[in-house]
Amino acid sequence: MSELLEVRNLSVSFDTPAGEIQAVRDVSFCVRAGEVLAVVGETGCGKSVLCKSILRLLPEIARIKKGQILLNGVDITGYREQDMCRLRGRFFAMVFQNPMTVLNPSMSVWAQIAEAVKVYGRNMSREEVEQRVIQLLDLVGLEDLKKRRQQYPYHLSGGMQQRCVMAIALAAEPKLLFADEPTTALDVTIQAQILDLIKEVQARLHTATVFVTHDLSVAAKAADRVAVMYAGKIVEIGTTEEIFQDSRHPYTWGLMRALPAFARGRDSLYSIPGMPPALIDPPKGDAFACRNEYALAIDYEKQPPMFQVTDTHFAATWLLDERAEGLGIRAPVFRMEEEDCQEEQKSPEAAAKVLLDVQHLTHVFPISSGKTLTAVDDVSFQIRRGEIFGLIGESGSGKSTVARCIMNVYRPAGGHILYQGIDICDSREFRAHKKMLQSTRQMIFQDCDGSLNRRMKVCDIIAEPMRLQHVKPPRGTYRAEAAFQMQHVGLAAAYLDQYPCALSGGQRQRVAIARALSMEPALLVADEPIASLDVSMQAQIVNLFRHLQKEQGFSFLFIAHDLAMVEFLCDRVGVMYQGRLVETGSVKEIFHHPVHPYTQKLVASMPLPACCTGWDERRQNR
Amino acid sequence: MKINRYMKIIGRKILLLAGSVFILSLLVFYISRLSPGDPLVSYYGDRAEKMSPQEQEWARDRLGLNDPIHVQYIRWLQNAFRGDFGISYKYKMDVTAVIGGRILNTLLLGGIGFLLIFVLALLLGILCAWHEDKILDRVICKIGTVTSCIPEFWLSLVLILIFAVSLRWFPSSGAYAVGKENNPADRVRHLVLPLTVVVMSHLWYYAYMIRNKLLVEVRADYVLLARMKGLRKSQVMFRHCLPNILPGYFSIMAVSVPHVLGGTYIVETVFSYPGIGTLTYESARYQDYNLLMLLSLITGITVIVCNMLAQAVSERIDPRIRVDDEGAYGEVEEL
Repeated sequence: MSELLEVRNLSVSFDTPAGEIQAVRDVSFCVRAGEVLAVVGETGCGKSVLCKSILRLLPEIARIKKGQILLNGVDITGYREQDMCRLRGRFFAMVFQNPMTVLNPSMSVWAQIAEAVKVYGRNMSREEVEQRVIQLLDLVGLEDLKKRRQQYPYHLSGGMQQRCVMAIALAAEPKLLFADEPTTALDVTIQAQILDLIKEVQARLHTATVFVTHDLSVAAKAADRVAVMYAGKIVEIGTTEEIFQDSRHPYTWGLMRALPAFARGRDSLYSIPGMPPALIDPPKGDAFACRNEYALAIDYEKQPPMFQVTDTHFAATWLLDERAEGLGIRAPVFRMEEEDCQEEQKSPEAAAKVLLDVQHLTHVFPISSGKTLTAVDDVSFQIRRGEIFGLIGESGSGKSTVARCIMNVYRPAGGHILYQGIDICDSREFRAHKKMLQSTRQMIFQDCDGSLNRRMKVCDIIAEPMRLQHVKPPRGTYRAEAAFQMQHVGLAAAYLDQYPCALSGGQRQRVAIARALSMEPALLVADEPIASLDVSMQAQIVNLFRHLQKEQGFSFLFIAHDLAMVEFLCDRVGVMYQGRLVETGSVKEIFHHPVHPYTQKLVASMPLPACCTGWDERRQNR
Repeated sequence: MKINRYMKIIGRKILLLAGSVFILSLLVFYISRLSPGDPLVSYYGDRAEKMSPQEQEWARDRLGLNDPIHVQYIRWLQNAFRGDFGISYKYKMDVTAVIGGRILNTLLLGGIGFLLIFVLALLLGILCAWHEDKILDRVICKIGTVTSCIPEFWLSLVLILIFAVSLRWFPSSGAYAVGKENNPADRVRHLVLPLTVVVMSHLWYYAYMIRNKLLVEVRADYVLLARMKGLRKSQVMFRHCLPNILPGYFSIMAVSVPHVLGGTYIVETVFSYPGIGTLTYESARYQDYNLLMLLSLITGITVIVCNMLAQAVSERIDPRIRVDDEGAYGEVEEL
């Protein structure tokens, strides 16, 4: 196969007031015609920057410091903007992470696709452009749009928007397609569809694809070769088989261990300790050394070169140096736990006590001129004391609305919510027990950025509910109480006087958790608490939830669309679909014997077990 | 069905306009009578002071100023419906006649000024955004900051001093030279200085706005996709970014009509330009109630109509703000 794209020693940095951020450091790889290369790594490791620097779509503060980019053997590193314009779309194209924002909101989708077609075929007649747009819509499975040309992006669902972006990217039949986390912003079932679409298109048009993802299982499903990136460098690259069966770099091992599917029946999810280094001043030695349990002394001193394992497999770790051979460090063997872990039996009296009883809850939103949207339709479920109840379903299925009704944010149109036997929808009963109700139910939100007041210090944020409810702090002062709570959720007390903007996403979510726990709630409602976090952060936060819940025994309503996390964390699960609760049951029932067709579809589309089982079987067959 | 819907929308707008105008007239009527001063002075001039109390009483009676305010208002309203807006106390003729002679001058000054501001701000804004942080952008921004700090009357005086007194290029006052009423060239010569002041004092604010809004758009995600298609910078700017800021620009420009109008009033005073700006000022100062009423109504209607027009135009350009009776929701569910 000929080499379509070759990147040699590419370094890209951003000039910021704080200093030079070395986002991509000395990266070399190649993409051959028709193959799929997956680039895997945590957020901020430089995956997206790498792609955008090849297409030259980065802002002006970014510059290519050194290295070469060769297309079909031609060096395009020094190309000017006009030359790049001619290449973009025609030679390479890109699909972005967030289809909602990359489509121009005030232009019809048809016009946007047609525009891409016209860039490519300038002399095309109107009819030819129309024909081509129809062809493209067929290709990406948007037959519905052919007749409706006045559809704007906001008319479409996320999955359809991503299909439109695909159509635009494929308009000129590029030889190389960059897909930058194309499924991350979408629902699980839609994710699988888009992934299939990319594979299908790839097979039909023989487009070489660079697939950027943080999800190893997606990479395993889609790619021929995998490159693992960490802190701006490619640390390991090889064929999919090699990476998944014979990985050599400790970071790759860590990523694999963090897959929730491997945590079935275990106490906690694995997460790589620590945080990726800041790239303003990257460490002298191996950037991964301080998080690496297998780190050698030399890792802190000198950056490892790429060691060749096989013809196609390279890894940058000193473990592969002949001097380290003697240490005998091999990849830990991963295996899915057999389902032999015994269900933890709740003591019978605990099981009997129902804390929250939702009966026939219905909520209706008015939309324009007298029409209404039934967001929640006759939903009933119970949460017992000390139980973790997971609520899953795709976006728009009414999960958040249920949570908000339970928290008295919305007033439901019908049904009852009994909390400790009190009907909280009844305003008279609510007022009578207001203090108790407000202090024993706490909520954690998805967007930890928006749910913390950015003008309040962390200690004030955590102590605010106590102040509002006039709770006397058990540890003397509010500040001491806040410090205690922070320690509890794994935050250093040094952050007490910081503002939220100084914290990372995971730390902010910990602050939100500390705030909720400061009231010692009996019911904690978490609305997609991990959706906006990085994978390794997700694992840490879910571990924290599990740990805290065991310790304090509160009831926990956990809303998520990440099935693997729900399977790991929850005792019982409810599945919502279009406002209705279609199935409830224990985790085991739902995930192993789903009854409702939607649940079956959902469980089948879980990317993790499918790939990992396959891979595990292959492993055992060897 | 479509026409029916438009008729309904237009009908609603007209009702809204009528309501607003009614409230406006009521407020202006009451407030103008609260301000101190004697309308008799504007009617009789110096003679008013020499009149005996009986004569003053009689004069007030004749002008209908002795009735309670609401009676006066109802009478004014009834007359106004018949098209009779009363007489100006100062000019002793029909207010419509007083205004009719001058409104064209203001329309000329304000209208041309407004159009110039609109177009130049757009051009300057695009120019600055295109050359973001380059030398041209910085120079324009600096000039703008300094110029927008200069008060209008001072700028007018300096321009008069330089171009009218020293260089004698342009006349310093009036709308036309005596006897050249119908000579367009002469009118234009008289317009140059006042127009310069009106444009210079407002232009920068809007140019900045365009620049900053464009810079926000240029950083939006959809620009990435547009560039990925292989569009050139100019195509991205004019096909994607500019159309997205125009609705906002239109509505802001519409809201700022009174702002620009207020500016022309000051300029008219300094340049002794015979427009309704000077007239408004005088009518308020000399308790010329009828004149003030009509002028406020004209200004008010202009502002409201401009706002409505702006909304209509924005809706045309930006599909998201259209009153969507079919509802986007239904289609999402269906798909």
